[in-house]
Amino acid sequence: MLPEAARSAPAITIAGVVVAIAAAGPLGYLIVRALDGGVAVALQHLWRDRTLELLLRSAGLTAAVTLVCIILGVLAAWLVVRSDLPGRRVFGVLFMLPLAIPSYVGGFTWISEWPGLAGFWGAFLVLTLVTYPYVYLPVAAALRASDPALEEVSRSLGKGSLRTFLLVSLRQVRPAALAGGLLVALYVLSDFGAVSLMRYDAFTLGIYTSYRASFDRTPAAVLGCVLVLLAVAITVGERRARGKAAAFGLTRVGSGAAREAMTVPLRRMRPIALLGSAALLLAALGVPVFSLLRWLTGASAAIDVPVLLSATWSTVEVSALGALLAVLFALPVGVLIARHPSRLSRGVELASYAGHALPGITAGLALVFLGSRVFPGLYQELPMLVFAYAVLFLPLAVAAVRNGIAAAPARLEEVSRSLGKGRFETRLRVTFPLASPGIAVGAALVFLTAAKELPATLMLRPTGTSTLATELWQATDVGAFGAAAPYAAVLIVVAAIPAVVLGNVFRKSSDAGSGGGR
Amino acid sequence: MNRFFFRRLPSIGLAVALLFPLLAACGNSDALVIYSGRQQALVGDLLGKLEKELGMDVEVRYGGSAEMAAQLLEEKEPEADLFYSQDSGALGALTEAGKLATLPRDDLDIVDKRFQADDGSWVATSARARVVAYDPKQVSEQDLPSDLDDLLDEKWRGKVGYAPSNGSWQAFVTAVRQLKGEDGARDWLVKFKQNNPQAYENNVLIRDAVDKGEVALGLINHYYYHRKIAEEGAENVNVKLHYVGGNDPLALINVAGVGVIKGSDKAEAAQRAVRYLLSESAQQYFADETAEYPVREGVTSTKHDLPKLSGIESPDIDLSSLSSLKETLALLQEVGLS
Amino acid sequence: MTELIVTGLAAGYRDTPVLRELDLRVAAGELAAVLGPSGCGKTTLLRVLAGFHQASKGQVLLGGAAVVGDGMHVPPEQRRVGVVPQEGALFPHLSVGANVAFGLPRKRRGSGRVDEMLELVGLRGYAKRMPHELSGGQQQRVALARALAPEPQVVLLDEPFSALDAGLRAEVRADVRDALHATGATAVLVTHDQEEALGMADTVAVMRDGAIAQVGTAQQVYTEPADLAVALFVGEAVLFEVDAVDGVASSALGQLSLVTVDDAASGVGVAVARPEQLHLTAAPDDAAHAVVRDVVFHGHDATVMLAPLVATGALSDGGRLRARVQGHVPVRKGERVRIDVDGPVRFFPHATTERVAGTRSGAY
Repeated sequence: MLPEAARSAPAITIAGVVVAIAAAGPLGYLIVRALDGGVAVALQHLWRDRTLELLLRSAGLTAAVTLVCIILGVLAAWLVVRSDLPGRRVFGVLFMLPLAIPSYVGGFTWISEWPGLAGFWGAFLVLTLVTYPYVYLPVAAALRASDPALEEVSRSLGKGSLRTFLLVSLRQVRPAALAGGLLVALYVLSDFGAVSLMRYDAFTLGIYTSYRASFDRTPAAVLGCVLVLLAVAITVGERRARGKAAAFGLTRVGSGAAREAMTVPLRRMRPIALLGSAALLLAALGVPVFSLLRWLTGASAAIDVPVLLSATWSTVEVSALGALLAVLFALPVGVLIARHPSRLSRGVELASYAGHALPGITAGLALVFLGSRVFPGLYQELPMLVFAYAVLFLPLAVAAVRNGIAAAPARLEEVSRSLGKGRFETRLRVTFPLASPGIAVGAALVFLTAAKELPATLMLRPTGTSTLATELWQATDVGAFGAAAPYAAVLIVVAAIPAVVLGNVFRKSSDAGSGGGR
Repeated sequence: MNRFFFRRLPSIGLAVALLFPLLAACGNSDALVIYSGRQQALVGDLLGKLEKELGMDVEVRYGGSAEMAAQLLEEKEPEADLFYSQDSGALGALTEAGKLATLPRDDLDIVDKRFQADDGSWVATSARARVVAYDPKQVSEQDLPSDLDDLLDEKWRGKVGYAPSNGSWQAFVTAVRQLKGEDGARDWLVKFKQNNPQAYENNVLIRDAVDKGEVALGLINHYYYHRKIAEEGAENVNVKLHYVGGNDPLALINVAGVGVIKGSDKAEAAQRAVRYLLSESAQQYFADETAEYPVREGVTSTKHDLPKLSGIESPDIDLSSLSSLKETLALLQEVGLS
Repeated sequence: MTELIVTGLAAGYRDTPVLRELDLRVAAGELAAVLGPSGCGKTTLLRVLAGFHQASKGQVLLGGAAVVGDGMHVPPEQRRVGVVPQEGALFPHLSVGANVAFGLPRKRRGSGRVDEMLELVGLRGYAKRMPHELSGGQQQRVALARALAPEPQVVLLDEPFSALDAGLRAEVRADVRDALHATGATAVLVTHDQEEALGMADTVAVMRDGAIAQVGTAQQVYTEPADLAVALFVGEAVLFEVDAVDGVASSALGQLSLVTVDDAASGVGVAVARPEQLHLTAAPDDAAHAVVRDVVFHGHDATVMLAPLVATGALSDGGRLRARVQGHVPVRKGERVRIDVDGPVRFFPHATTERVAGTRSGAY
C-alpha cells in the first residue's frame, strides 16, 4: 500500500522523491568510495582514536557556534522587527551581509588584524560571525509573520517587554530559530576555510589532510560518512524539537492579514542595544572590510577591471541560476513536508539535508564522479555547476520554503480547490504566492552561499570561467592580498543585492498587514 | 494576458539573459586541456605563450594541486591532457594510479636525474629552495643557524615562524624523517614545538612577519623574498635569506612538475607542451618572472639575484613518495604540529 | 438547482471515527443549517462534502450524481461545491475582484460576472481593494461572492458569522440569506449558534455525535425536539418531572397538555417547556409556587429567575426555574409568583432520557 502522501498528491511526491535522489547522489558516491577497499578496510579507517577525537572537536565547535548564533540571530531579529532601535531598517539589511563573507576571507582578515588568533576560539569567532545570519533571517521572517496579538495579551497581563519576549516572542520564533540553527550546525560541520586558517583540528581538516597528503579517497570518504551520520542525527534532533515547538509557533491564521506589531520601546536599554548591534556589525563586517581596504592600498593592488566585471557577472549568473534551481527543487520537498507529513516525506527531507555536512571538496568530488559518468556531456559546463549549487545548498532553500508554506493557511488551498482549481494550479496561484517571503529567503540564502562557494566551483566551473570566489582564491593563494581585495569587496556588494531585495519583500508584506483588518 | 506579459517583461528578459549561456554552452573539444595546480598569476602568461607555440587552443583550469589530482582520479575519462602540479606529491599520486604516460627519453634528458620521476612519468619544470629568512636587525650573520638542530637553541624561543598547513612544511618534515630516522624526527619535532614556534598561514605572511621583525627567523621558499624585492625594491626590504646548504632538511629543494595524462587523444600536443615548458625560453620565464630555479642547465635569471642551483647542496629525497607523505602526516598529528 | 443527498456517511481521523452513518437530504434551492455543539463532527461533514476529507463509507449524491461512494472520491475541484470558510479566508495576495474571479474560467473573468457578484453582496466598486482593507463583514460577503461566482451546485458555509460582532452579524446574515435565495443556490450552513440556524435556515438538521439527530423546520425542531438532548441543545428548556396519561401530564404545577406527537404518551417521564411558556402572576403566599430571585433585562424580553417554594418537580438548574417574558415584566425581585404553563409541552418517558441524564450528570 502506498504512503498517504503518495495517494493524496502523486505528482508532488514523485517530484520530491526525484529531488531527494538527486540530493542523495553525493552520499551514494561516498559509500562507493568508503567501501572501495572492502568493509574491513573501511572499518580500519574508521576505528581509530583520531576519528573520535575529530568527532568530539567538530561536535564541540558546532554546538558552541550554533548556540551563540541562535542567541545573536534571535536578538538581532527581535531588535530589527520589534524594537525601536534607531536605524533598524539599515540594521536589518546590514545584519544579513556577513553571509556573503566566505569563512576563509573572514578568517584571513581576522588573523591579519589579530595575528595571535587561532584554535577553537579563533574558529568559533569567525564561524559565528559569518553564520549567525542563517538564524537571523528566518527568525526575522517569523517575527514579521507572527501574530502580535499574543504579545499584546502578554503585555496586558502585566508581563514586561523582557518577559513577554522570553515567554511569548521566543516561543513563537522557536521553530524558525531551530531551523536556522540546523543550517548553522551543518555549515560549521562542513566548513574548512575557518578551521584550517585557525588550525583547529576538526573533521573537515582531517578529510582535507587525507586528500592532500595521501590522495587516498577512501579514508576521506569514511570520515565523510561519519560526518553525514552526525548531520542526520542533528537533523532528526532538530525535527523532533521543531515538532514540539510547532505547537507554540503560532503564525497568523485566518485572513492572513496580520496587523503591524507594536514597537517595544527599549528605553534605558536603547544605547546598549545600539552599541551591541554596532559591535556585532563591526566584528562581522567592519573587520573584514577594514582589512580589505588596507589590502587595497597595499603593493599588489592593481584592479583588472575587465576580469573583475566578468567575474562579477559570472558570480551573479551562476549564483542566481543556482538559487532558482534550488528553489525549484525545494518547492516539492517543502510542500511534501509542510502539507503531507508522512514517513516518506520525512525521508525526503532527511535526504535533502544529509549531504550538506560534507566539506566542499568531498561534495565537489562526488559531483565530479557522478557528473563525468551520468552526464558526461554537461561535465564542466554551466548547467552542471548550477545543478551542483542547487544540490549542495538545497537545505537552505528547503528550510525557508517549508517555513513559508507552513505559514500559508492550508484553508486557502482548500478554498481554491473548491473553486475548481486542481492541485497544481492551486499551488501556483495560492500556495507559492503566499509562501513567497519564505521562498525569497530561501533563494537569497542559496544565492549568498553559492556566490562564495569555492571547492566545487573550482572543479565544476566551465574551463576559463572565473567567479569572484575563484579570483579571490587565486590572488590570496599567491599572497597578492591587494589584488584579492577588490574581489572580496565586490562579493560583499553583490551580496547586498538579495539583502536589499529581501528587505523590500518584507516591507511589502508588512505594509500589506498595516492597513488594519477587522 | 498581455498586461501580464508586459508587466513581467523585465523578469523574462533577465531570465533569458541568465539562461542564454546555458543554451549556448559548448566545450571546445579541439583544445589542449591543462589542469594547473600552479596559479594563474605565476604561469598564466607562460601558458598563453604556449598557445602560440603549439598553434592550437589551450584551455587551462586552475585549482589546488592536490584537489586537481583528486579530481583527475575521480573523472571517468580524465578531462585533462596535461597535469601541471605545484609539487611532486600530486604527480606521484597520479603515477601510482597509473594515470600518467611515460615521457620520451629525449625530454627527460634535458634535466638532471633529481628533477624527474624514476619511471619517467613526470618531469620537473622549475625548482625552489627552502631557505631561512631572517631579520638582519635582530640576527647577525654569524648567529644564523647552520643546521637543523641550531633551530632548537633557546635563543630562538618564540622567534621562528613556520607555516604548518603548507605543503612545503610537510615536505620539509619528510626530509627530516628521511635524514634523521623516525625517532630522531619525532625528537626534533617535539623539541621544536617546545621552543614555541610561531605559526602562520602561509609563506608570504612569514616573510612579511620577518620583514617587520615580528619573528627573527622564518622557514620559507626562496622566491617569496625575490618577489618582494621585485615588487617593493631592494631598498625597501629588510628581510634577508640564508641558505643553509649541505645534507640538511633546511636545504631541501622542491619542484613543480608536469605529466601527460595517459590515454589523452592529444598526447602528441601534450608532449610538445612539456617540451616547451623545458625549453630555454620557458625556463628563462621561471627564472625571471617567478624567481624560481630553472631546471635546465645554462639558464640564469636576468632579473633576480639567484644563487646558482648547482652550487646549492641539498639532500637527495624522493618527495613524490606517497607512503612517505602519509607517515609524515601521522607523525605531525602525533606531535601536534600539523 | 441541485439536490444534496447523503446516506450512511462515515468518516474519521486515523482511529477516531467522527461521522457515523450520517444521513441528510437537502432539497434543491434550500438553505439547510447543520446545528450542533462543537466537536459533534459538523466541520468534518462539511469537509467531506467539499472533498477535502475522504469518507470511509457511505454515499454523497449531488444532483443525482455520486461524488462519494464505493471507494470513489471526486476531487474538490471537480465537484462544483462552493465554500465560505470561517472569517472568509480571502486570498490576501489578490484584490477583491481577483478573489471573486478566482474560480471563473479565464474567458469569463472579464464578462461582468465579478461586478454582478459584488453587486449581489452589496459591494459594488470594491473590486480593486485588497482584502486587508475590508472590514470583517465585507470580507465575509466577498467570500460568499467568490463562492457563488462559478455557479456551484451547492454552497457550504462554515460558521461564517462567528467572527463578526453581534450588530453586524444580523445584517450580514440577512444579506447572505438574500444573496443565496437570489441565486437559487442549494446551501448548507454549519453552525453551533442555534439562533443563527433557526433564524436563517429553511431546514435545520441537529447533529450529535457524528449523526443527524433530527431534521425539520426551525419550528419543528424547537417545539417538537426528537429527544431530550435535542430539546436541551436547541433553545433553553425548563424540565419537569411528570406523570403522563394519554397525552396529559400531571405535574406539581398542574395539568400540562402535550404536543400532538405525544398524544398517546403515558408513564413517568420528563416534560420539556420553553421559558417563554411559563406564565407568571403575582400571588399570595399560599398560592405561590416560587419567589423571584432575579430579573435579567434584555431589552426585547427579560429572563426571570425563580426559586421554588413548593416541590415543583423542576429538574433543570438545580430545581430553579427560568422564565422569559416579553415586553412588560409583570413581577419584581423578591415577589412571590404563581406559575402557569401555557401551551403544549414535549414529553419524554424516563426510559429514553437516561442516556442524557447520564452524560449530563444531572445538570438539567
